[in-house]
Amino acid sequence: MQTSIILIVFLPLLAAIVAGLGGRIIGKFASKLVTTGALFLSCILSWPIFIGFLTGAETETVVPVLDWIRSGDMVVDWALRVDTLTAVMLVVVTTVSSLVHLYSWGYMEEDPSQPRFFSYLSLFTFAMLMLVTADSLVQMFFGWEGVGLASYLLIGFWYHKPSANAAAMKAFVVNRVGDFGFSLGIFGVFLVFGTVSIPAILEAAPGAVGTEIGFAGMRVDTLTLLCLLLFVGAMGKSAQLGLHTWLPDAMEGPTPVSALIHAATMVTAGVFMVCRLSPLFDAAPGALEVVTYVGAATALFAATVGTVQNDIKRVIAYSTCSQLGYMFFAAGVGAYGAAMFHLFTHAFFKALLFLGAGSVIHAMHHEQDMRYYGALRKEIPLTFWAMIFGTLAITGVGIIGIFGFAGFYSKDAIIESAYAAAVMGGGNVSAGFAFAIALIAALLTSFYSWRLIFLTFYGKARWASSEHVQHALHGHHEDESEVVADHDSADDHPVAVREGTGGYHPHESPWSMLVPLGALTIGAIFAGYAFYYPFFGTEEGAAFWAGSLVHNAELVEAAHHVPLWVKLSPALVMLIGLGIAYNNYIRKPKNPAKFVAMFGGLHTFLMHKWYFDELYNLIFVKPAMWIGRIFWKRGDEQTIDRFGPHGAATAVGWGNRLTARLQSGYLYSYALVMLLGLIAAASWAYWWAR
Amino acid sequence: MADVAAGYLPILLFLAVALALSSAFVGLPMLVSRLTGAHRPDPEKLSEYECGFPAFEDSRDQFDVRFYLVAILFIIFDLEVAFLFPWAVSLMGTGWAAWIAMMIFLTELALGLVYAWQKGALEWE
Amino acid sequence: MTYNFAAIVPELMLIIGEPILMLTASTMGRRATKITTWGTVALLIAATIAALVGTEPSSAGPLFGGLLSADPFAVYGKALIYLSAAVAIIAANSWFARDDEHGPEYPILILLATVGMSVMVSATNMITLYVGLELNSLSAYILASYRRTDARSAEAGLKYFVLGALASGILLYGISLLYGFTGSTQFSAIAAALGRDEAMGIGLLLGLVFTLSGLAFKISAVPFHMWTPDVYEGSPTPVTTFFASAPKVAAVLLATRVCIEALGPAIDAWRQIIIFAALASIFLGAIAAWGQTNIKRLLAYSSINNIGFVLIGLAAGGAAGVSAVLFYMAIYVVMTLGAFLVVLNLRNAAGEPVEAIDALKGLSSRRPGMAAALAVFMFSLAGIPPLFGFWPKLMVFNAAVEQGLFALAVAGILGTVVGAFYYLKIVKVMYFDEAEEELHYACGNLEAAFIGLFALIVSPLGYLLIGPIGSAADNAAGALF
Repeated sequence: MQTSIILIVFLPLLAAIVAGLGGRIIGKFASKLVTTGALFLSCILSWPIFIGFLTGAETETVVPVLDWIRSGDMVVDWALRVDTLTAVMLVVVTTVSSLVHLYSWGYMEEDPSQPRFFSYLSLFTFAMLMLVTADSLVQMFFGWEGVGLASYLLIGFWYHKPSANAAAMKAFVVNRVGDFGFSLGIFGVFLVFGTVSIPAILEAAPGAVGTEIGFAGMRVDTLTLLCLLLFVGAMGKSAQLGLHTWLPDAMEGPTPVSALIHAATMVTAGVFMVCRLSPLFDAAPGALEVVTYVGAATALFAATVGTVQNDIKRVIAYSTCSQLGYMFFAAGVGAYGAAMFHLFTHAFFKALLFLGAGSVIHAMHHEQDMRYYGALRKEIPLTFWAMIFGTLAITGVGIIGIFGFAGFYSKDAIIESAYAAAVMGGGNVSAGFAFAIALIAALLTSFYSWRLIFLTFYGKARWASSEHVQHALHGHHEDESEVVADHDSADDHPVAVREGTGGYHPHESPWSMLVPLGALTIGAIFAGYAFYYPFFGTEEGAAFWAGSLVHNAELVEAAHHVPLWVKLSPALVMLIGLGIAYNNYIRKPKNPAKFVAMFGGLHTFLMHKWYFDELYNLIFVKPAMWIGRIFWKRGDEQTIDRFGPHGAATAVGWGNRLTARLQSGYLYSYALVMLLGLIAAASWAYWWAR
Repeated sequence: MADVAAGYLPILLFLAVALALSSAFVGLPMLVSRLTGAHRPDPEKLSEYECGFPAFEDSRDQFDVRFYLVAILFIIFDLEVAFLFPWAVSLMGTGWAAWIAMMIFLTELALGLVYAWQKGALEWE
Repeated sequence: MTYNFAAIVPELMLIIGEPILMLTASTMGRRATKITTWGTVALLIAATIAALVGTEPSSAGPLFGGLLSADPFAVYGKALIYLSAAVAIIAANSWFARDDEHGPEYPILILLATVGMSVMVSATNMITLYVGLELNSLSAYILASYRRTDARSAEAGLKYFVLGALASGILLYGISLLYGFTGSTQFSAIAAALGRDEAMGIGLLLGLVFTLSGLAFKISAVPFHMWTPDVYEGSPTPVTTFFASAPKVAAVLLATRVCIEALGPAIDAWRQIIIFAALASIFLGAIAAWGQTNIKRLLAYSSINNIGFVLIGLAAGGAAGVSAVLFYMAIYVVMTLGAFLVVLNLRNAAGEPVEAIDALKGLSSRRPGMAAALAVFMFSLAGIPPLFGFWPKLMVFNAAVEQGLFALAVAGILGTVVGAFYYLKIVKVMYFDEAEEELHYACGNLEAAFIGLFALIVSPLGYLLIGPIGSAADNAAGALF
């Protein structure tokens, strides 16, 4: 197992180096082969480990790699830690990553810099694996920053697009806020516990309960402070309310990137971190409450915004944001197993949805606006079915006790845990709040998911007036990435949509894109059914997790025995959402316009994503730019430069003109200068000697 | 005071003699020529005398650079002679060392003259 | 009086060889050029060896009744002067080869100047000082106007002569004042007289100021620098190369010896003047070079600038200061000769030598080796750390700081910053500007070897030479105290 762990983690790095540095030499085919091959190898090696943990054949393993930092009390060793939690993440990361690699063969077919793309993908995978196998917080931070870097590089992959560059920068800067909190958290942990080794911290955590620490001039509860600081990091990486603004913009990256990084893996790193440190969080109920509120608020906020998006990828992006909120409040109420379960199933169906959306976009020549879709189910049937299964999974379709799609099990586990936590032990207000929000969000999830399906695959064909399709039709050959417009919903204007195909017939995607869709469809259908009990069973869960996260058996048991209406409520709200979507987009397609006319304010509010970007622009970006401009213009240019380098240069220029004038070329003026110098020297010496 | 003035009396006498003689040299020919009837002035005779050059008005006019060469060579040997006088007077006191030093100096100048000669500096044309 | 001819063997070799070569030149005409050139070079090298080998302790004392001294200080100066003069002679070959101006007299004139410089660095008496100075100067005036058909060269020679005569007059006046008020022309006697008097009289003070001013002309320190740019620009480039190297060494060493040996007790009086001249030279050299378009003129200001740094060492005084001065001069000569060697070998399409800085445009792409060498010299002259040019500046500043002259050191460092601009400008022109016209090189193997050697010395590898040069400089400086 040790060898395979090393191989799993370092094969992607090796592939990234080969493809990234040698891409020009070995060519694009070899680069793709090396990276994809390495990832499939990692994937194949990961599953036996996961199954080993599932059957109880494997136990927690730590593979030391090297001594890293030895500085006084600071000891950081590079070690790969694999327990159940890590094993879950390993299969998620390597499976989705290898499928996305394969998918990209088809999706990126026409891109000129494929070796770079595949190298970045593999590099990302390596960093993500570093993150999940981290044995210490510093090592986790290394992976954390590594995935951030890879995310930045991939969002800005089409660097000739200003909007992609802006999105990449935004992602980086917003994540920096989170990372600042995370690093403060690590410093605090080191300060309090004297170590950054995760097992040592978790062991010491209960001893710190009730202690206080000085922070920003206040006395605060140590563990609450540490957990909140760490949670700020998680919020940044997992796009929770407040630090979520980068995620929708990150859709500027190629769609496989969105599927891998911004749906299945990287954005779940925050959830993973909270679960990894669950004993620490569990000892800080105050912090958990905050986690619950933030998660629930995010779930609701993102779901509301998702309902009005016109860009297919943005709908899924907000959906991701919303689902991450679910995972957080699950962790917040103490159901870490449920959070991880949802993370696991979500990875499959969300990657599926993204890759399906990518397939649609591919078929529609990079048109991403759903208003130009319609009636695609006959044109691209395989993609249609994959999307249908993805939607069934995310909306949680299933019959209790018989069978359900992946989301049915995981989302119900979360909702039931929230209810159980709310009523357990005298009532937990935040859990109750989360439960209520979860149901509303589930309704909205169902609505926007089906809206996506109906707009895309049903109704009449509307792509006649799409510019992208027009370009494709009239044979304008251009770099496809060039025409991907910035789809920020706040900039969306009502478009004059003309019905009809315009003579264009979308084509189904190549097999390299369909195979991953198929594989993920299987995951979306069965991941919940197959793994419900190991992840969320009372005894099975305890055996499966084996202490790698806090398994609150009491809570899980209570969640299994909630009242029937609680168990049925998710299905009910799902049906309501479906009904509304069906009514508005199939039966009466004019209804949405009427709704917008009636509730214009609400619609604008949602279109502007609750005005978060505008607000941040106003209170952070503009003042920062203003201060920056003052330092730049007034401070640097008009003070330091003016009296410093430029001033000196000007003075030298004057001096130069003066000396040039003195250097007239006439003997008598030279002689005069000499004599004046002589007189001056004599006078000075005399004055000095006196 | 009188002693000092007495010391300068020979110089005064010398001046008087010089004045008398020069007046005679200038005045006598003029007087004699008029008396003998040989006073026939022409522009050539009336023009002032300057060695080698035609007389001119402006001191900044160009003149042949060869005059320079001759003048410089003259000055060198003129100074050589100026050095020789004190050397000759004190040779009895300074001895062989001074004799050898002066010989080296003279040889050095002679070599310079040889060089100038071979270069053709002494030929007017 | 005793005659210790063994101690002046190098000078004797030169002055005996000189008339022989001169007569050869006069009899053989232009055909003798090669003979005189290599004969002079051979003489200079032989004299260098003689100077270095023949330093016995017995010859260290005053010679010829205190007229001369062959102490390590003089030997250090002679070795530098002879070798750089030899390089200047060799460097002239290809430059003069393109026209008929190259006569056999060129190396002989340099030889005469070298004898004068040799006397300058050895002089311990005001009279020998003046004789040596004039022998050097008179040769230099003729050299400056060596291309007599070229108006610029003639103008340079005339300017140099007139201003040099004025400076000589000032110097002589100063010497006569010193003689009048101390009763001796002997350095040691002047120093003794200065040491006796508690308060310095106005006559002595004026004598000191006039003497230093006369010497400042030779080292082209501000405000006696005015001749330098015009003469450097107007003179034929090989002559400029010579002017920038050996005579600078001789004049600086002469000034150092006068300041320390003759005027040492009056250090408080002359230090002020030297400090002013140092700072004025540094800043004027740096500022005036700013707008130059002619590389020879620029290098003239560069020499003024560098002399300023040397004077900082002199102002510091003491063994450390003098040692820093000597060290500086050794490195300065190498850097300057290297830079001039590159300039000497620049030719335009017609084979004419070019002097415009613009002509260096794009040099890096056409002659990368030459451009790299010139860049090394420029960086070194600017005193950029890894290069050798940094060390002498460091030593000079160190000496100043040790003497508590902090303000002077700080001002000097600021001056290096200003000065760095125009050195770097040359590098920028060579490496970042597009070429405008075709440029050719008539660089012989020997010149290329010299350029390579000097670039190597100046490069960071020169660090290895700090030991030998430094100990030689320390030893030489020790002779004055």
